[in-house]
Amino acid sequence: MQNNKNISSVLKSVSKPGRYIGGEYNSIIKDKNDVKCRFAFAFPDSYEIGMSNLGVRILYDVLNKEKDIWCERVYAPWPDMIQKMREYDIPLTAVESGDAVKDFDLVGFSLQYELCYTTALVMLELSGIPIYSKDRKETDPIIIAGGPCVYNAEPVADFFDLINVGEGEEVLVEISRLYVEMKEDGSYTRSAFLRRASKIEGVYIPAFYDVSYNESGTIKEYRPIYDDVPTKIKKRIIADLDTVSYPEKLIMPYIETVHDRIVLEVYRGCIRGCRFCQAGMVYRPIREKSPETLCKAAKCLYENTGYEEISLISLSISDYSRLRELTDGLLKWTDDAHVSLSLPSLRLDSFSEELMQKISSVRTGGLTFAPEAGTQRLRDVINKNVTEDDLRRSVGIAFKGGKNNVKLYFMNGLPTETEEDIVGIANTAKTVVDCYFALPKPERPKGGVSVTISVSCFIPKPFTPFQWEKQDSLEALEEKQKLLKESITDRRIRYTYHDAKVSRVEGILARGDRRLAKAIERVVKNGAVFDAWDEYFDYDRWMSALEEEEIDPDFYTTRGYATDEVLPWDIIDAGVTKEYLLRERNKAYEAKTTPSCAEHCNGCGANKLGGKNVWCK
Amino acid sequence: MVQVNNTPITLRVKFFKVGNLQYISHLDLVRTMMKVIVRAKLPLWYTEGFNPKPKITFAAPLSIGTESMCEFMDIRLTEKISPAVAMERLNANMTAEMQAVDAYYPDEKMTALKWLAYEITVNTKGADEALATKCNEALSLEELPILKKTKSGEALVNIKPLIKSATAELRGEKIAVSCILSADSSAFLNPEYVVKVLREKCGILASEDLTSESYAIMRTNAYKENMSIFR
Repeated sequence: MQNNKNISSVLKSVSKPGRYIGGEYNSIIKDKNDVKCRFAFAFPDSYEIGMSNLGVRILYDVLNKEKDIWCERVYAPWPDMIQKMREYDIPLTAVESGDAVKDFDLVGFSLQYELCYTTALVMLELSGIPIYSKDRKETDPIIIAGGPCVYNAEPVADFFDLINVGEGEEVLVEISRLYVEMKEDGSYTRSAFLRRASKIEGVYIPAFYDVSYNESGTIKEYRPIYDDVPTKIKKRIIADLDTVSYPEKLIMPYIETVHDRIVLEVYRGCIRGCRFCQAGMVYRPIREKSPETLCKAAKCLYENTGYEEISLISLSISDYSRLRELTDGLLKWTDDAHVSLSLPSLRLDSFSEELMQKISSVRTGGLTFAPEAGTQRLRDVINKNVTEDDLRRSVGIAFKGGKNNVKLYFMNGLPTETEEDIVGIANTAKTVVDCYFALPKPERPKGGVSVTISVSCFIPKPFTPFQWEKQDSLEALEEKQKLLKESITDRRIRYTYHDAKVSRVEGILARGDRRLAKAIERVVKNGAVFDAWDEYFDYDRWMSALEEEEIDPDFYTTRGYATDEVLPWDIIDAGVTKEYLLRERNKAYEAKTTPSCAEHCNGCGANKLGGKNVWCK
Repeated sequence: MVQVNNTPITLRVKFFKVGNLQYISHLDLVRTMMKVIVRAKLPLWYTEGFNPKPKITFAAPLSIGTESMCEFMDIRLTEKISPAVAMERLNANMTAEMQAVDAYYPDEKMTALKWLAYEITVNTKGADEALATKCNEALSLEELPILKKTKSGEALVNIKPLIKSATAELRGEKIAVSCILSADSSAFLNPEYVVKVLREKCGILASEDLTSESYAIMRTNAYKENMSIFR
C-alpha cells in the first residue's frame, strides 16, 4: 500500500500489517507505459482468504499473460485498517502498484459467498466509487462481478455494471480487449462499452433489463430495454481444460494464508447430482484434465513455489476417471521431494486402502467425509448415493491406517426431514465410534477415537432440484439443533453446527431479487462488513435493515417458490434445464435415486453447452 | 528418501530485510525462507522422523517494524557447495527487499552473537538540537526503569545494563539515535524500548495523528561479547 501520506505509523498500529504490503515473490509488476488496460481483481474478504482462492490465481495469470493488460489484486482491509483509512482519508489501493482502485479501468469482484456482499460495497466506498451502477460517472471504473454467486446476482445487480456468468478465463480477456479497442478508436463511453460487451457470451448487463412484479410480490417479467440484448444470459464455459491456461507460478504470500499450498484443479463439474448442491449443477458439463497436463503443471508449480503440499481440487476427487494414473504420476517424484498429496473431497463409496496409502504422508490424523443426512431414506431423497455400509467400510480403512479423527458433514433442514433423520445423525456418528471399538485392540490407532459432526443448515439454492423448496424457519432449525444435541450421548462425539441466523441471511441473499439492493445498502450504512466472519455478523442489523426497507424475509425463505413462478435467476441459462430440475425434485419426493453421469445420462441439458468431456455423449 | 550423509553441514547466510518487509513477522519469515531454500535447489538436509523437514535457524528474531541490514540464517546441507553459488540461487528466489549479502561456512555458533547495533530515526514534531540534547540526557541516566513484557505479565525492569551505548543527534529535521543493545537470548532488548524511553521522558511522538509523525528502526551490525564483529 503506497500512498502520498506517510502511513508507516498506521501500518505499525494495525494487526498483521503484512496484509497490505504486496511485493510478494511471483507477483507481477508491469511498466505502466506498456499497459493499456488496468484491471483490479477485487476479493471482498481478507488477504488471507483471498490469496487462497483458486479462481483469483487463475484469472490473475490469464489477464497478465496479455502484454498490455495489467491485472492487480485488491483485498478488503481488516476492520481495524478500515477504521484508520476512514480516519486519515486513505483510499483503497491495489496490492501491486499501490495505485488507488478508483483510477483503474476495470474492477472485477469475485463473489464467492453471499455474505461477502457487504464487504464488496465497503470496498467500493473506501475506493470513492459510487456503489450504484447508475450513479457512476464516465471517469469511474467499470465494476464487474463474477464467481458462483452470480448464478443469482439479482440482490446485488444494481451495484454492478457488468456480470460475468460462468467461467472467466476467456470472457475477462475479451472484455478487457474490447475496452482497449474502444479506448483506442475513441468510441469508448460507459454506455457504448456496456452495450457492445452485452454481446459477448456470458456477459450480463443488469441495467439493460427492467424487472416488473406481480401484486403478490413475485416477479412478473424481465424485459430487455434494447432489442439487441439477449433475453437470457447463457453461462460461459471453457471447452477444453487441457489447453486452457493454468498458472505456472503462484504468488507466494509473506504471511500465512488459509490454503498455503499448490492447488491442482483436476476437473470441473460433478457426475453425482446431489439435489441440494449448486456447484454440482452449475459447473456442468464435466470436463477433465489429463494426467499428463496435471503432472506437468504440478512439477512446474512445485519448482516455482517450493510448497510441500499439493492439493487435488475438484468436487469429488475419487470420481476422476484417471485418478490412479494421476496419483501414480505424482508419487514418482513427490515422496523424494518431501511433498505430500492431499485429496480434500473424498467420497465414502470410493475410499480405498490404496488411496489412503497415497495420502498417508499427510500430517493430520484425520479424514473427512460427507454423508449429509442421517438416514438412508433422506440420503436417497437428496441423491447422495452412499450407504451406512460405505461409511463402516471407509472408517474401518481409516482406523486401520492409523487415523483416529473422523469428521462428518451433515445438513439440517433438508426437504422431508423428520425427527428420525435428526436422531439418525447422532446414530451415524455413534456407528463410527462403534466401528473403532469393533477393531481388535492392537489394530486400533492410539489415542482413542474422536468423531466430529459438523452440521450446516440447508439453503435451497438456485439451479438445484431443491430451488423451489422452503427454507426452515429460524425456530424450526434451532429446535432441530437442540434435538440433535440431546441425541448425542457419547462424549467422543463432538458436535458443531452453523448458526441458523447466518443461514437465514444467506438464504435471503441467495434467493433474493433486485428489491434487496436497498436493504444491503442500508445494512452497510449501519456498519456491516465481513459478515462472513462470526465476530462481525450481526443478525439484528440485517433484520432491522430489511424491516426499514419493508422487505419480508419470509418471502424469500420459508415461503418456498411455486414451480410456475418467474424466479429471479431465470434470466440466467446455467445449462441444466428446469425440466430436469423438476424431474429430480419429483424423484426426491419419492426417495428415488438417480445414477451418476458415469453410469447413465440423465439428460440434464448441460451437454448442450459443448466442451470436451468424458461422460456426456 | 535415502539420506546418505547423516551429519548436516551448516551454511550461514547473512541477508538484509528492509522496506515493507519490516512488517513481516519472524514466524512468517521462517515460513518464507523454508520455501526459498527449496526453490533455490540447495542440497538440503532433512530432519529424520515421520515428517522430515529442512532445518533453518536464525539469530535474534526481528520484531515487526524493524528493518535489518544484518540478519543471519543457518541452513543445514547434506554436502558442501560453493557459498557464492548458494547465494546466487537464494537471491534469485527472493524479492528485492530481502537479499543475501554473504554466505560462508561459519566458525562459530549463532549464540556467539551478543550485541546488536541499531539506527533509530525519529520523525517527530519540534525536532531540534535542544530535543536531541534532551534525548541524550535521558539515555545517559543511571537507571532506565521501563515496564517490560516478561513471561509472567509486565514488570518494571531497568534496561540500562542492556544498553552498551546510545547517543542521539539531530540529523536534518529528524532525531537519530545510534545504539548498541544486548542480543543475548536471556537478556534481549528490543529497540522499541529505547523509543519508549524517549517517548516517555522527552515527549517525542506525542501526536495522536498517526500520519504526522513516525519512526524507523534499522538493525545495522552484530557483535560478539568482546565487541568484535560477529559473522
